[in-house]
Amino acid sequence: MELARRIAVVGVGETRYERRSSRDLAALRREAACAALADAGLEAAAVDGLIVPGAGYGELHELARDLGIRGQFHAASCFHSGTAVVAAPLEAALAIESGLAHTVLCCQGVAWGSERRGNVGQPHAEMRMKAAFEIPFGWYPQVVHFAGMARRHMELYGTTEAQLGAVAVACRRHAALHDNAILRDEPLGLDDYLTAPYLADPFRAADCCLVNDGAGAFVMTSLARARDLRARPAVVLGAGSGIIPDGEYSSLREDYLATAAAHSAPRAFAMAGVSPADVDFVALYDNFTALVIQQLEDMGFCRRGEGGPFVEGGRIELGGALPVNPSGGQLAQAFVFSMNHVVEAVHQLRGEAGPRQVAGAEVGVVTGYTGAQHATLVLGRG
Amino acid sequence: MPELAERHLPDPGWPVARPFWDGCRAGELRIPRCERCGRWVWYPAPACPDCGGERHAWTATSGRARLFTWVTVHRAFLPGYRVPYVTALVELVEDTRVRLATYLRDVPAGGLRTGMRVEVVFESVTEQLTLPVFRCVR
Repeated sequence: MELARRIAVVGVGETRYERRSSRDLAALRREAACAALADAGLEAAAVDGLIVPGAGYGELHELARDLGIRGQFHAASCFHSGTAVVAAPLEAALAIESGLAHTVLCCQGVAWGSERRGNVGQPHAEMRMKAAFEIPFGWYPQVVHFAGMARRHMELYGTTEAQLGAVAVACRRHAALHDNAILRDEPLGLDDYLTAPYLADPFRAADCCLVNDGAGAFVMTSLARARDLRARPAVVLGAGSGIIPDGEYSSLREDYLATAAAHSAPRAFAMAGVSPADVDFVALYDNFTALVIQQLEDMGFCRRGEGGPFVEGGRIELGGALPVNPSGGQLAQAFVFSMNHVVEAVHQLRGEAGPRQVAGAEVGVVTGYTGAQHATLVLGRG
Repeated sequence: MPELAERHLPDPGWPVARPFWDGCRAGELRIPRCERCGRWVWYPAPACPDCGGERHAWTATSGRARLFTWVTVHRAFLPGYRVPYVTALVELVEDTRVRLATYLRDVPAGGLRTGMRVEVVFESVTEQLTLPVFRCVR
């Protein structure tokens, strides 16, 4: 089944992103989904496919009810959290091309700012091998896992703290240009970064994503139908998913620094018929600064070990050769499992990103990451 | 006393990991090894990743390892952790694919480097539980 250039993203929507919202996750999801449908000029009744990553069984049906979907719908999901969001166009293309659905809505939200139960790393704490062999030794939570990778990268390749800081600074500068970015009014220069205290050396607070409330959504349909809708479509040029073959435990991976972007990106680029050199901007899953560097390497924007120098000198800032995370990303706009990255990519490709607009943006790449899983999405101007 | 609160202690009675904790109490760092092909199987798993063998014998190792990576933790992410502490991954000399998360002791004044030699020491926490931690070898 040929899936390239068969479907498009025809509507996007987001709530306000806030440290803490007064509304619950169901209300946030509904608002984002309604905004995406309004952007597409579609009624909820048109939706016959739903992808709601992370939603439990009950939450899926609550969202359908709250949107007013009364007909039959196809429920697709298999990947988790950020990977699921960015792989949603792949799932949607399969469903739409096979006739299972015509219009697929993907919605993702978090309420970790206000509903945090115990600890953000709780799902990991419930994994028994981690509970037995990692947590008792302080190898927990994720900030420690990713700081360990960053330290290894620094040791092997000479990556510096200033290079990690370059990622944080770029995201913060982009967020300053976004009305819906949590850290819009909290500027960060490299000196500020370097003088801040460590949380988990080599990481400081600015290396870590936000913990917040909010939701986003996007609507997909066939490219043929997309042409009749109100918004300029963002064409799904290619999409790919990948899995690290040796499993969940990052501490044990044979190639400790590799992400499954090494698998998902070549698939997505091949489907799209583009190479990294053709890409105008990227929106990379940024739970921590170092993961941005790791993905740039795994996706072929630079070679292994060269990610540190690559992000220096403004190259990844707006106006640079490869703007990274133009919305401010999850480090500075909001953490929504890459949903904000998809929304931003669509705005960029429509040419409606205002002060953040990447001049002449024709091809944008979005990634989602979930431990051993990764997804790469190549979107094109419709 | 280790850096963590009692509530984060592992359950030494969990059958899958019990031989590990039994080994620590006996002063041995034991890792499961495939009886068919000899591969160390870590973490414990139902099947050997190389040959699929399902019978694994908990086998004593030398307790010698090399530093793979480390993190100095300055904030207590779980209530009860005493900071700062140095947590690390070390790879056993028997097979570098066997990495253990551990605390580092005797960190040299000149700092840490990947590949430094480390060796296990056992710290008794309760009557049932002894934790393997690693110290830097001069």
